[in-house]
Amino acid sequence: MGIEPVALALAARRGAKLAIDRVSKRFGAAASAVQALEPIDLAICAGDFLCIVGPSGCGKSTLLNIVAGFERATSGTVRLDGRVITSPGSERGVVFQQGALFTWLTVRDNVAFGPRALGRTQGEAGAIADRYLELVGLSGFASRYPYELSGGMQQRVGIARALANEPEVLLMDEPFAALDQQTRELLQEEIRTIWRRTGKTVLWITHSIEEALFLATHLVVMTARPGRIKASFACSFSREGDPLIATTSAFAEAKRTVVGLLRRESIEAQRQEVVS
Amino acid sequence: MASNPLILDEAVGSSQPDERDAMRRTARRDRWLGLASFGAMLALWVAVTGSGLWPPLVNPTFLPSPMTVAQTFMKLAQSGYQGHTLAHHFLISLMRFGIAFFICIVIGVPVGLLMGMHSGVRAVLDPPIETTRPIPKLALLPLFIIWFGIGELSKTIVIIAALFPMISIAAMQSVRGVSIRKIQAAQSLGASRGMIFWRVLLPASLPGIFTGIRVAVGIGVTMLVGAEMVATSDGIAWMALTAADFVQTDVVLVGVLVMAALGYGLDQLFQLLERRAVHWAGRD
Repeated sequence: MGIEPVALALAARRGAKLAIDRVSKRFGAAASAVQALEPIDLAICAGDFLCIVGPSGCGKSTLLNIVAGFERATSGTVRLDGRVITSPGSERGVVFQQGALFTWLTVRDNVAFGPRALGRTQGEAGAIADRYLELVGLSGFASRYPYELSGGMQQRVGIARALANEPEVLLMDEPFAALDQQTRELLQEEIRTIWRRTGKTVLWITHSIEEALFLATHLVVMTARPGRIKASFACSFSREGDPLIATTSAFAEAKRTVVGLLRRESIEAQRQEVVS
Repeated sequence: MASNPLILDEAVGSSQPDERDAMRRTARRDRWLGLASFGAMLALWVAVTGSGLWPPLVNPTFLPSPMTVAQTFMKLAQSGYQGHTLAHHFLISLMRFGIAFFICIVIGVPVGLLMGMHSGVRAVLDPPIETTRPIPKLALLPLFIIWFGIGELSKTIVIIAALFPMISIAAMQSVRGVSIRKIQAAQSLGASRGMIFWRVLLPASLPGIFTGIRVAVGIGVTMLVGAEMVATSDGIAWMALTAADFVQTDVVLVGVLVMAALGYGLDQLFQLLERRAVHWAGRD
């Protein structure tokens, strides 16, 4: 039980579901350009729960945006099951930090939005929505509007909405960052249960080391800008049944390792903020 | 704005009866304060004009009493003013406003949305709208009369000239302000461009469009007065302006009050529509 260094580069892993192949990103024009991402090479296999942690501004959200198809990579490609990604698509479900729900639709219609977009009838989409709302424990709130719910419940709606299209991959951009500690821990347990039940492939961006250790099968630590992969680990805590795993000494030791790696990067990120 | 924190309280299960009662009490108190303020203005009017209770403190020619104005209102409603009933004057004004307003919404909102969504359309339409915006549109009325005659057309056009930029720019800014996150969410759920427009961009823009429309209602009533200043023989503002020439202050006041009621009524109507149609406004 713990974390072990492991190579997650494309060359090192076979049968990648999501292949991030030397993806880099530069913002702005020639002279004033900012290198946000150094070439990133990463293989995510089916059923992986891969968490990326890094200091703020390291480009981890940029990487997710490229995988989602919202942004273009400056160089390199992302492939899902061998097909190159060029635009957003329903086979990649995205959960955002907050503010991405459709405020004018009821909770049920939010979740039914994807199935409707994919051509299901109103009735079918509603039934799918109800199923996923049950999965995230919101059955009683289908007719409510998002603004009537707490932050944690809104994130559950976002998760149900992303799952309703049965995407191949789930992309989560700091989905719990805006929640309070208790809500966040509860949702972490639930997302783990949902992940076990559905066996989804997950790419999860977070700045919380505990969250990453608790959820991940694979953990990637990024450097300060320009972001590149500093270390990668295989991680076994998410396979344990113990909900209080975070209080064990093995967990503390793993956390110590990752904190040690991140600390220097965070200091560097802070320095960049002061300079720029 | 529609404020209903009660719903939120119920949903998250943190309803605190004490706090709710306090809020309700405050709301009730403020309603009474509003009525009292209105009553005080009326009382002051009654007091300075005497209203038959005591000798008027100001010359009734300048400020007739509320009773006189009420009587004049009844008289005008029955026998009309200068050949037309009060209802006719009111309805013709409402029609002038309504036609201009309707055209502004039906054309201005889609044009604004297009400007917001398409930089090419914006590049073409923004300069004419932005450069003509500072011109007081009433100043153009003489020009419109030369171009479009002294009939209804020039009056309608001067109101449109004032309201169209307001409504289209409100629509443009609303659609440009739609959160990129919501659009991205729709894209990654597989929504087509049509679906993104009808089910994301349009509803997300509605609160801003409604705000623009409500501002335009207020300006529109003002424009109506200007439009009826020349080359008309009916309309509620025309009635007030003509009566002023004959120092019929009671008729002027009837006209002013009817216009105030028109503006207030329209604003209330749109507030109601807004609460119904965009209940989520400002609650993101």
